[in-house]
Amino acid sequence: MTSFTRRSFLATASAASAFGLLSSPGIAQSKDLVVGTWGGTFGDLLKENVDEAILEPAGWNVLQEVSGPVPRRTKLITERTQRRGSMDAALLADFDMHAAAKVGALEELNADNVASYNNILPFLQKKHSVPLIYSAHAIVYRKDLITTPPESIAELWNPAYKGKIGLSDFLYTSNMAYSAIANGGTLSDFEGAEKGVQQWKDLDAKLLPSTEAVGQALSSGDIWITIISAARGYSWNKSGIDLGWVIPEEGAFPAVYEAAVPKNARNTDGGMAYMDALLNPRAQAAFAEKMGYLPTVKNGSISPELEAQIGFTQAEQNRLWQPDLDFIMENQASMLDSWNRTLKG
Amino acid sequence: MAKLVLPAGILVLLLLGAPMLLMLRYSFNIFDPLYLMKTAFTWENYAKAVADPYYQKILTTTIVVALTCTVLTTLLAYGPAYWLARMEGRWKSKLTILTMFPLLVGGVVRSAGYLALLSTDGLVNASLRGLGIISEPLQLLYTPGAVIFATVGIVLPYMILTLASVIESIPRQVEEAAANLGARPAQSFFRVLMPLSLPGVLAGATLVFILCMNAYATPLLLGGPQFQMMAPAVYEQFARASNWPFGAALAFILLIVTVVLTSLGSSVIAKRYKAG
Repeated sequence: MTSFTRRSFLATASAASAFGLLSSPGIAQSKDLVVGTWGGTFGDLLKENVDEAILEPAGWNVLQEVSGPVPRRTKLITERTQRRGSMDAALLADFDMHAAAKVGALEELNADNVASYNNILPFLQKKHSVPLIYSAHAIVYRKDLITTPPESIAELWNPAYKGKIGLSDFLYTSNMAYSAIANGGTLSDFEGAEKGVQQWKDLDAKLLPSTEAVGQALSSGDIWITIISAARGYSWNKSGIDLGWVIPEEGAFPAVYEAAVPKNARNTDGGMAYMDALLNPRAQAAFAEKMGYLPTVKNGSISPELEAQIGFTQAEQNRLWQPDLDFIMENQASMLDSWNRTLKG
Repeated sequence: MAKLVLPAGILVLLLLGAPMLLMLRYSFNIFDPLYLMKTAFTWENYAKAVADPYYQKILTTTIVVALTCTVLTTLLAYGPAYWLARMEGRWKSKLTILTMFPLLVGGVVRSAGYLALLSTDGLVNASLRGLGIISEPLQLLYTPGAVIFATVGIVLPYMILTLASVIESIPRQVEEAAANLGARPAQSFFRVLMPLSLPGVLAGATLVFILCMNAYATPLLLGGPQFQMMAPAVYEQFARASNWPFGAALAFILLIVTVVLTSLGSSVIAKRYKAG
């Protein structure tokens, strides 16, 4: 019988650990494709309608790297100087993707490397990313408790809703944009945003830690009115909460989620294939059906019934704001600081 | 013998020492919204964190919650620890395992359980409403009370097990001798058992205090966004504001305050014990 001493065990274990640490980058094969994304329902929908439905039959092996958006953006920015990055495709909200594009971390996309690129709706077309889905952060309210649909942003500060206004902590950028517009500011200065946030505090607005918490608070009647994507309003409505949503007359903050290929991707071809798969009308229809987000391509078709529920009229579409992404990028940290100090201080 | 320590020593240096040194270096850099940070050597981040009333309040809340939880945990743990230490027979090992059982479930999972218990339509409110004790749901979630309650629940096993092992080493005859000499149970506890078990109380309190100072999941999930403690504030700087230099400075302030308070507490109690 072979003797296995403590010393030899330690030596073997150390060697095995070192082998594991050193060899991990080598695991990635040419058909492996690492996608940085959100998890949960979003990740599941990607897996079912993009990874398994389109890319795996074409021979790609998709691996989801699930994380929050800021760590993902940080990775894109910090890894840009390395020869090889950790992701072949990354999904982010438009303002986070803008920062990664700004530092030159992303491949340029066009019809030559992404076959469906020209199908993208013109107002969503960008040089370094493709739009995956879009909606708008609208006013979402309990129809049974607020019987007159709110038409103006001012309704978010209506004293009649004291204690029943909900604010998603996660959506502080959109909330502050609303607050700025309501107080005479613009999307390029957010002037007056703090004043509006202070007024929310005075109205005992409930600050909720996650999107799910907003849904629960609407369901229980803890809050009656909030700012959240119309897509969420649709999916919560489907789950039985009596909700309505409006694009107020002053406009609304668009919610656009994008995908891009890092310049230092290990598998650029795979990344480009992923971009194309995201624009596939079938994948787009699945996101519309399950999550209420609108297709971003001209050839994306959803049923007229669904369109009536989640779509925007031309007038509403025209009212969607065009955020100043440079301003947001430069000021996001100070916006968060101001948001925290006013509501949590 | 020294060679055997080497692999573990190298691992600790690599996995703990190196990242901490890196963070320490980052804490002296300057935040840049586009490129995350600029290399510099400035105390600006520390000065801002120390002088800012917003962060002073967060640090104070953290210390108050950690101290409250430590005191409550000590009070709640002493009885069960004594009982466990003095127990004999087959039930002793079973109860010891049962005490450790909550540690098998992660803090996040336990906090999620507390969410289900304490939410507006959770078990506690539903039961109270069902029994007709309340008509409107109580606000139990997103309160300091919820954080303290859940944190004590999480750290209690550490204190019970630490105390039990020390009490076990105190001969039962010492208590019997005190009783024979006419000491009442309370006198026996405060004059004999308590001083002898003080090293265990100190060790347990130190462990619990450090865990509470660094609590992350419980304050975040049960305290809600308006309840601020240091560990979530550190995470927020890294993961939401992308302000690594300031996040690193906050992390080192938390570390320094924890070390100073722990050392101070230990020496004050030890001196008092010696003087007594």
